[in-house]
Amino acid sequence: MIDPPYAFDEYRSTLKRAPKEPLLALPPGALDVPGPFVPPGFIRNGDNDLTIRGKSMPLGERMFLEGRIVDAGGRPVRRSLVEIWQANASGRYHHPGDTHDAPLDPNFEGIGRTLTDDEGNYRFITVKPGSYPWPNHAYAWRPQHIHFSLLGNAPVQRLITQMYFPGDPLLDIDPIYNSVPDPEARKRMICRLDLRTGKENYALGYRFDIVLEGAKSTPMGL
Amino acid sequence: MAGRTPSQTIGPYYRFGLRWTDGGKVGFTEAGKKVVITGRVLDGTGAIIDDALVETWQRAPSGALPAAAAGGENPHGFGRADTLNGAFRIETLMPGGPLPSIDVTIFARGLLKALRTRVYLAPEADARSDPLLASIRSSPRVKTLVATPQGAGEYRWDIRLQGEGETVFFAF
Repeated sequence: MIDPPYAFDEYRSTLKRAPKEPLLALPPGALDVPGPFVPPGFIRNGDNDLTIRGKSMPLGERMFLEGRIVDAGGRPVRRSLVEIWQANASGRYHHPGDTHDAPLDPNFEGIGRTLTDDEGNYRFITVKPGSYPWPNHAYAWRPQHIHFSLLGNAPVQRLITQMYFPGDPLLDIDPIYNSVPDPEARKRMICRLDLRTGKENYALGYRFDIVLEGAKSTPMGL
Repeated sequence: MAGRTPSQTIGPYYRFGLRWTDGGKVGFTEAGKKVVITGRVLDGTGAIIDDALVETWQRAPSGALPAAAAGGENPHGFGRADTLNGAFRIETLMPGGPLPSIDVTIFARGLLKALRTRVYLAPEADARSDPLLASIRSSPRVKTLVATPQGAGEYRWDIRLQGEGETVFFAF
């Protein structure tokens, strides 16, 4: 099993939201159709740069984040929507529901989107998000993470996940990260430091490759 | 074969990131009968979930799968609506084909993986004929997938994540 179970006691929000009835098994390929497709005009110039939304640069460690999205057969997932959202460098979301007592950054909203190219590559410019406390259990802090939403090119590829950073000591105590049962699969949510993806004297570089479900309905990866 | 990347929860803070302008208004290249589907997402205690995201994917009125939209519009055939005000609202056109239905995906804090299901804009007896539901054809639970017509193209459909009246969700 690659994905977490719905019910995972250590993550308390699952208690009242996880289904209890058995899930309905479907005939193979039942929902395997192509689409939806995002029109190129949906993305505007600069949508993938989270550091240019304010009057000046946001606070924090600037980073270039690049990766490639492929399906389980290794084929590129082309011209597909990638959306990210994240806390600022202090660990605060630009969101009215976030009441953590850390400063907002007027130059950072923490939202980006882009389309993959013909080889499945994507790129964002952002700052490293901070950790923040949450009320799941005593002394609970989330490891640094960036939320990823992948539309894929078929509904069976649709995925929302979180990207974590190498060496973060909070990974060990995080129930969301550890809800993925297989330790090897868990590690696939951790990005890789790659200095040459960055820019000398300007930005750190990280790579995060993503593998989506294979879709028979997209034989060429689209 | 590469190992797939695991799913994680959408969390509580997605709204600014994933909220699209007119995300709940589904576009097509063709005309059709207007329908509106509204509903609540409820937890195991019956409480309203106001931080869920509901996505829909469906056939066009002609029965064809929608292709890419033009210009800067949202993807055709695809809807995305939050439950910030206690209910989601999808404004779309009646899907074509013999059995009108819409595929639905639900994300929320506390869901480590999306939930998938299908809503039928058709009588319950017709929904039972869908081969997708073959293994539960005679179950009373089929009614959890049938939207209730309210007249004038409006439908009501609540999604119950857990407990009494729990919606049928698909394994994937």
